Amino acid sequence: MRVGLFIPCYIDQFYPQVGVATLQLLEKLGCEVVYPPDQTCCGQPMANSGFGHLTHGCNDLFIKNFSGFDYIVAPSGSCVLHIKEHLHGEGDASAKQAAGGAGSKHPDGGEHPDGGADIAGKIFELVEFLTDILKIERLDAAFPHKVGLHQSCHGQRGLHLAQMSELMAPPFSKPERLLSMVKGLELTGLDRLDECCGFGGTFCVTEEAVSVKMGKDRVADHIKHGAEFITACDMSCLMHMEGILRRHKSTARVKHIAEILNSQ
Amino acid sequence: MSSREAILDRIRGNQPEHRELPVAPEGGMAGADTISQFVSALEGIGGAVYIIPGPDHIASIVRGRYPEARRIIAGIPQLAALGENPATVADPHTLEDVDLAILPAHFGVAENGACWISEKQMIERALPFITQHLALVLPADAIVPDMHAAYERIAALDSVEPYGFATFIAGPSKTADIEQSLVLGAHGPASLTVFLLDERLPEAGYF
Amino acid sequence: MRPHNNHTDHAALAAIFNRDEPRVDWHDQTLWWVRRKRDVAASKVPEWEQLREAASRIKDNVLSHLSGYLAQFEEAAMRNGVKVHWAADAAEHNAIVYSILQRHRVDRMVKSKSMLTEECGLNEFLHEKGIDVVDTDLGERVVQLAGEPPSHIVLPCIHKKKEEIGEIFHEHLGTPSGNADPKFLTHAARLHLREKFLTRRVALTGINFAVAETGEFVVCTNEGNADMGAHLADVHIACMGIEKLVPERRHLGVFLRLLTRSATGQPITTYSSHFRRPRPGQEMHVVLVDNGRSVHLGRPDFRNSLKCIRCAACFNTCPVYRRSGGHSYHTAVGGPIGSILSPNFDREKNADLPFASTLCGSCSNVCPVKIDIHQQLYKWRQVIVREGYAPVVKKAAMQTMNWVLSNPGLYHAAGKTGRWFLLHVPFAVNNGLNAWYRQREMPEPPKQSFGEWYKKNKHE
Repeated sequence: MRVGLFIPCYIDQFYPQVGVATLQLLEKLGCEVVYPPDQTCCGQPMANSGFGHLTHGCNDLFIKNFSGFDYIVAPSGSCVLHIKEHLHGEGDASAKQAAGGAGSKHPDGGEHPDGGADIAGKIFELVEFLTDILKIERLDAAFPHKVGLHQSCHGQRGLHLAQMSELMAPPFSKPERLLSMVKGLELTGLDRLDECCGFGGTFCVTEEAVSVKMGKDRVADHIKHGAEFITACDMSCLMHMEGILRRHKSTARVKHIAEILNSQ
Repeated sequence: MSSREAILDRIRGNQPEHRELPVAPEGGMAGADTISQFVSALEGIGGAVYIIPGPDHIASIVRGRYPEARRIIAGIPQLAALGENPATVADPHTLEDVDLAILPAHFGVAENGACWISEKQMIERALPFITQHLALVLPADAIVPDMHAAYERIAALDSVEPYGFATFIAGPSKTADIEQSLVLGAHGPASLTVFLLDERLPEAGYF
Repeated sequence: MRPHNNHTDHAALAAIFNRDEPRVDWHDQTLWWVRRKRDVAASKVPEWEQLREAASRIKDNVLSHLSGYLAQFEEAAMRNGVKVHWAADAAEHNAIVYSILQRHRVDRMVKSKSMLTEECGLNEFLHEKGIDVVDTDLGERVVQLAGEPPSHIVLPCIHKKKEEIGEIFHEHLGTPSGNADPKFLTHAARLHLREKFLTRRVALTGINFAVAETGEFVVCTNEGNADMGAHLADVHIACMGIEKLVPERRHLGVFLRLLTRSATGQPITTYSSHFRRPRPGQEMHVVLVDNGRSVHLGRPDFRNSLKCIRCAACFNTCPVYRRSGGHSYHTAVGGPIGSILSPNFDREKNADLPFASTLCGSCSNVCPVKIDIHQQLYKWRQVIVREGYAPVVKKAAMQTMNWVLSNPGLYHAAGKTGRWFLLHVPFAVNNGLNAWYRQREMPEPPKQSFGEWYKKNKHE
């Protein structure tokens, strides 16, 4: 199985260890992993700020880099969701605008990507790739610490990595299932199971006061329940919470789930 | 062009293509525990419930619960001794000093403890709201499981005697507007007592 | 008088709100508790998710036949003896209400909760005409006396502490200073407002649902104030947005099961009053208000927001709303639903609102009529930027970002430079101009990017 590794821009630049862990984990589980060197970004920061019309360059680059793989895997729920819902190639945007934004219906409810169509079908976030495609039942990993799981919103509500507390539906959690396979790991609880951490892309600086307050509250919830590490499928959430933890000189640290699942 | 025409024109031009109505949920069937569900729902929202064999028992319960009630309106023929039962009220403002109104209701709803009462039963629309305390009387077997069944019942009642006004009453009036502290007794009655009449009950005692 | 804060944007107003952290915690926890009550109530209805689907589809049907249903409602209402008026906009709505008051030579009235009248600025309009309007919903009366707009469409004074309410009542109702007991204050309000109900001849109410089939309309309250007003008044005026219809009376079963559980976690409001005919001798009026809704109906991406039944479940679940307060939204209906409705009314004034969100998606899940709120927030952002309402600085930054990210060589160089600065000249980045840095540490710059590591350690 040939997997194209998509490493989000801020992981590439600031948290390369998450990329390394992802690659090593996938190879351990039998995948042939290729990292297209010319990849940059999925375009989400611009699109979420209302500048979706500027993302053609990113989109075309993405399609160019990631065509021809069996699967594309990324250690980021929000980036994968964005690609799934909003990736479309050069010729499509004007057609969509002419249609008055009607677009065609995609099962996800997002726009139907032409040119990126096969990519939307092949791209997976790391956790769901492990549980749904590789269907792993056990993991050779150890991380003997108290770990709090942060349910990053886009992965949870967009990719359905875990059940949402607002829905009257049976609970499940793919990240939790994988974490339960890690030896010595003790999952700590939360008062509010799936409240947003407040990162939200450019929101983190345009609405700095609310963003930080949300992050502080998330962190406090984890610490109240004894977490030594906070983990998540999205490094952006963790980067935001880490910034707060370190400013408050907390002993608690963040660790991306890829690193935990790859720990020996 | 009138506003009406302009608005309807614009709507006609902008409304989307036909979307089918869903199949309406059907009313649940009254089961063994419909009455106890009703009782627990109503008690949970601050109402009091008595299950009694017949209206004769109401007077003594009412005198016990509302010893200071001076002006009582009892809109039920068997309770003539307890209070007034005017056929009509000329001016609703004259009801301002009613302490207790005892009125019949058509049916109750188990899922939320609500009772459906229509205009004729109220004597005057303002009465169930302006009275300081309210009591409703209905047959125990007139409790439907849920709101879907309720509207089926309302349709049947309405075809016989259409209402100009009717309401669901679920408990005493209340508010939680001050720091989410629940206070019973806002602008409507400060208490609600429901009497469920069950003829099968023995006379020698009541629940 | 109720001024709206429309001269600064959500981010600025929210920053002010966040200066008092304990108060933010209190506001946040209170509303989170309301959201949890909703969860408990919903969990007791096994078919909850099917009810949401049914409600959503009934409203889809209503929007697709809105003109027909409105005509049907009008005909039935008129047959019932109700006078039906049509208002194209807020000004016409206000004028219609005023003309009814004038005709009856009345200069005072009672009003129960109606977000529509809030949207139309009715109170201010009537005040200028010398009409005294008393809001009879307890929370609305509190904010009316305080001279503020409501901060929540169901819990109008949720932003006020009981001590503050006690002071307001002391000033305006003569209650003892320092008394903050909710029971005592509520009773004081009961007496104060009872006098208004008994002496005023005109009552105005909102409408929760209007039934096209029968021409009746439903008003839901816990307090009984709508009924106290209407049944004692010679004239009952009921106002509604044109979208608040249901096709048949039986559909009320679906909506009444969803509304209050979603709003406050109760199975139903104390009173769900069905008005069909005026009382003998009474005049009953219904005012149907457009005010931009018919235009909004024509927007495929955004028309779903017209399904809203004003339950405020989206407010209670929104982590941003809880920590910024309703007044930060500077519009009659704020919160998540307001952020997708208000840009329709005034693009420029409300351009900031769709950005007051992290797009977490919780709102869409609690919405009883399945409005795709978070997706509409995203789409509004695209519209607002395309129409030129994005701040110039942001636009420039985004264009730079696009240029860099479309170009691998540039991207690698920029990344390396950024990391170099963080490592060697941190104060160039970690300073007062950096909004991130105000309350958070910047990430530690690694020695090499993932791309550089891969190049060194892996084959091509």
